[in-house]
Amino acid sequence: MDIRLLRPSDIPHVQLANITNLPENYFCKYYLYHAMSWPQLSYVAVDVSRPPKTPYDPPKIVGYVLAKMEEEPTDGIPHGHITSLSVMRTHRRLGLAEKLMRQSQRAMAETFDAKYVSLHVRMSNIAALNLYKETLGFSVDKVEAKYYADGEDAYSMRMDLTNIPRDFTEDGDASEGKDEGEAVGSEKLQKVAIGRQRGVADLVEVVEKKEVAA
Amino acid sequence: MPQPLPSKEQTLFRSVVKYYEGKQYKKGLKAADQILKKHPTHGDTQAMKALILNSQGHGEEAFTLCKAALKNDMKSHICWHVYGLLWRSVKNYEEAIKAYKFALRIEPGSLNILRDLALLQCQIRDYDGYIESRRKMMQERPQLRQNWTALAVAFHLAGNLTEAENILKTYEETLKQTPPKGDIEHSEAVLYKNTIIAESGDTERALKHLDEIIKSNLDRTSALELRAKYLLDLGRNEEAEQAYRNLLERNSEYRAYFDGLERALGLSRDNKADVEKLAELYQSYAKENSRNDATRRVPLDFLSGDAFKAAADSYLRWKLNKGVPSTFANIKSLYADAEKKAIIEELVLGYESEKKANGSAKEETNGDKSDRFEQSVLYFLAQHYNYVLSRDLKKANEYIDRLIKLDPKSVDYHQTKARIQKHTGDIQKAAETINHARELDERDRYINTKCAKYQLRANENEKALATMSKFTRNEAVGGPLGDLHDMQCMWYLIEDGEAYARQQKYGLALKRFTAIADIFDVWHEDQFDFHSFSLRKGQIRAYIDMIRWEDHLRNHPFFTRAAINAVKIYLKLADDPKLANPDQLDLSKLDPTERKKAEKKAKKERERKEKEEADRKAAAAAKATAKADDEDKKKEDTDPNGEKLLQTKEPLEAAQRFLKPMLEHSTQIVQAQNVGFEVYLRSQRYLLALKCLQAARELDLENPMAHEQSVRLRQALSKVSELPAEVSQVVKDTFTTPAADADLTAYNNEFIKKHSESARHLQAAYTARYALDNSTKSQNETDLIKTLDLSTITFEQAEQGLALLSEWKSEEKVQDEYRSKAASRWSEANVFIK
Repeated sequence: MDIRLLRPSDIPHVQLANITNLPENYFCKYYLYHAMSWPQLSYVAVDVSRPPKTPYDPPKIVGYVLAKMEEEPTDGIPHGHITSLSVMRTHRRLGLAEKLMRQSQRAMAETFDAKYVSLHVRMSNIAALNLYKETLGFSVDKVEAKYYADGEDAYSMRMDLTNIPRDFTEDGDASEGKDEGEAVGSEKLQKVAIGRQRGVADLVEVVEKKEVAA
Repeated sequence: MPQPLPSKEQTLFRSVVKYYEGKQYKKGLKAADQILKKHPTHGDTQAMKALILNSQGHGEEAFTLCKAALKNDMKSHICWHVYGLLWRSVKNYEEAIKAYKFALRIEPGSLNILRDLALLQCQIRDYDGYIESRRKMMQERPQLRQNWTALAVAFHLAGNLTEAENILKTYEETLKQTPPKGDIEHSEAVLYKNTIIAESGDTERALKHLDEIIKSNLDRTSALELRAKYLLDLGRNEEAEQAYRNLLERNSEYRAYFDGLERALGLSRDNKADVEKLAELYQSYAKENSRNDATRRVPLDFLSGDAFKAAADSYLRWKLNKGVPSTFANIKSLYADAEKKAIIEELVLGYESEKKANGSAKEETNGDKSDRFEQSVLYFLAQHYNYVLSRDLKKANEYIDRLIKLDPKSVDYHQTKARIQKHTGDIQKAAETINHARELDERDRYINTKCAKYQLRANENEKALATMSKFTRNEAVGGPLGDLHDMQCMWYLIEDGEAYARQQKYGLALKRFTAIADIFDVWHEDQFDFHSFSLRKGQIRAYIDMIRWEDHLRNHPFFTRAAINAVKIYLKLADDPKLANPDQLDLSKLDPTERKKAEKKAKKERERKEKEEADRKAAAAAKATAKADDEDKKKEDTDPNGEKLLQTKEPLEAAQRFLKPMLEHSTQIVQAQNVGFEVYLRSQRYLLALKCLQAARELDLENPMAHEQSVRLRQALSKVSELPAEVSQVVKDTFTTPAADADLTAYNNEFIKKHSESARHLQAAYTARYALDNSTKSQNETDLIKTLDLSTITFEQAEQGLALLSEWKSEEKVQDEYRSKAASRWSEANVFIK
């Protein structure tokens, strides 16, 4: 199982993995929106052992993390957000979710100077909670009542990223101090149609705002 | 003529524009009407009104009004611009571009029009035009970095790397000071420039440039990957080694990094002496990380013999002890090597008896863990014997039954049980079993998805949709099915369509395959907004990646699968137009009284459906008016069952929508060439048919379909009285097998002899024989039944054979004979049960 950056050509099969596993689904353009806005942040787990059947075989995606930076953080602190994370039932217990998350988190810090990463998780989803809390080190920020369409509450969780080195090069340079966040993307809001509104979701955020793209 | 307005109306006009931009369409219309009341022929206002109407979904009205506006004011750039926008909204890009160009002639410096033109030029890949538009935009606003980047992108996409680099460099030189470190736009722009230098082939310079910018570049992963690659390409192996080792520090689950390291170290998997060193290399990495998979799994690819056995043993024990359910999936690719397959089987069977020997003595001490190991071993074996290269379904079934006894509530075990049943051909039972698995964990969408898939395989379309509906957004327009369309759930639409096709419900089948083509159109259209969006975001490399993906979007297997299916249905329609009206189909076979009854029933059924449909529409309409708003309303599907698709007058033309992209992008797929031949033969476009035939043979010289087609093409050509001189020359030069004067029967017999052990080839040859002389029908039937004795014939091929009999319109009796013989060989298979 390779862990590598998501490419645009992976999207059909990330979409397939998503709609196979999770109730919260998105159309292609929403994946593109992530991949075009923060191409450094989303990762896929690929089963590379399958012999190709045709020259056009798409990668066999068995897991993915779809991640973003919060466009307009209410707290003014640049931070990342996990939009969706899922691993095929057939590929559990390989630690893929953790490996995907770690890659994404580092990129959030390195590329976008994210101070923390947030996500939502269904309160009943013990396995996911366990992963976030015990394995990765997230903590519960607050409870969001009736976050999901079926009325279930969500934990809003976050994890500090300030300990990830921002600026190591091959010589192991220390970081040099930080600048303000993004330099582009502050123009007027333009509508980019995105995934469905509120729904039932495992490990998935609800897309609340209709207008997301700058 | 420009039509000046008094100042009050001018203000109103400006507000119309503002309302439009703010999507306040009602207010916009009101204001426009206010102007038009006094100045009914004011072109600009009419145009703006048309634009608003279009946004509200009144396309036709909008076009009429805009044309009137143009008549009133031919010299208005607004009217032309709007005209272009209207064309753009119906995706007629050529007309839209024409209109924009008219508008620009009147208002050459308009950035808005230029931008709209540029975006379309990029969308249709008119790169020369795109360069021109982008250059003008840059000249209008040279202070904006994205205008420079955009021009560079235009050159880059057009293949002019030198100019692309130049443009980026020119802009960089205007920077008075280095942008701050967090400036992602800058960071990406320089990395983009770096990839352009590398693409030009000057790796030396690319590396030099990268070394200048790497320290401050924000995309660490890309920068480090590029650097490692450059070093390797330049043969600077020691540095490359270090670079790949650094990358592996960051991510040791990526084979590309290991490959790079292997190459930097000059180690080759084909070289015996190197293999040992490679094994050591991987071991050294494995030691550092006890949870890493790649370092332990990769060596299984290149090791052999005892070394392989030892490595496989420790790998399998490690995974099976942990109870990793994907262990089999993860190693089955090794089965292509028969020796490895045997070793693995031996190892795992060994674990099984080990377990038995140890018996229950230790259970007290490490109960859970050894239980897990035991189950993992059995589960592995169940999958092993279910896999096509090591299949023994009886054994597979025994293992899975033991497991189910051990853990009757396991979703995974029941799912595998269902898979085994599917492989025996008992699709019905497989669907039942997996539905049981689904019920064991109703909150898991994965098993729900698989359940729906199996139900579709069993042709249970409605049941499958009901299953899917447990996780879809059912309040969507069109209910669960509507939601599956909205969410572009391709696998479902394809399986649904194939299930309908198997049931000869060709309308619905076509409907689904068309939906797939529609989704690909949407995906193609999706890139449009990013032509501008990505420039604002500054993530240019990702954007270029996307453009390149979009360029061959339709070579995706989802498209090909739907397309081959769709073309096949269109071929059936071309051969038998009666299929377009399925209701009448069966009637011809019935006796008169029964027919009358059936007709009456069909009529009643039709009326009932029509009434239902009308009621539903009325309700929907009432609902729609109740909440009529400016939101784009979803269009009512006027052909939910695909009847109109089926009634096409020109099925072969309709097939082109599916065929063309395949022949353009999926040239390596032999089935695409096969169906292409059939379409072109029927259209009497012999050269194109020949081209498909040759292409199929190039991919697979002994392709059965190509053989059959070569006979039929020869046959068809011999019947054509006259071909244009050039055509017949090309045919003469390129179509040499069979020769023009060949005895086709003898040619075909030779093929039969040559492939006497291959069901696929024989099926094709018998079809050819039938085509040559339909008096051979009973001979063909007898021979086809004999193919069921071939040792190599697969269940799917046998199914194909049955389909042939129905194509030949063989009598029931013959089909029954075929079925019963097949059923005795595949006793579980449903398809052979009548």
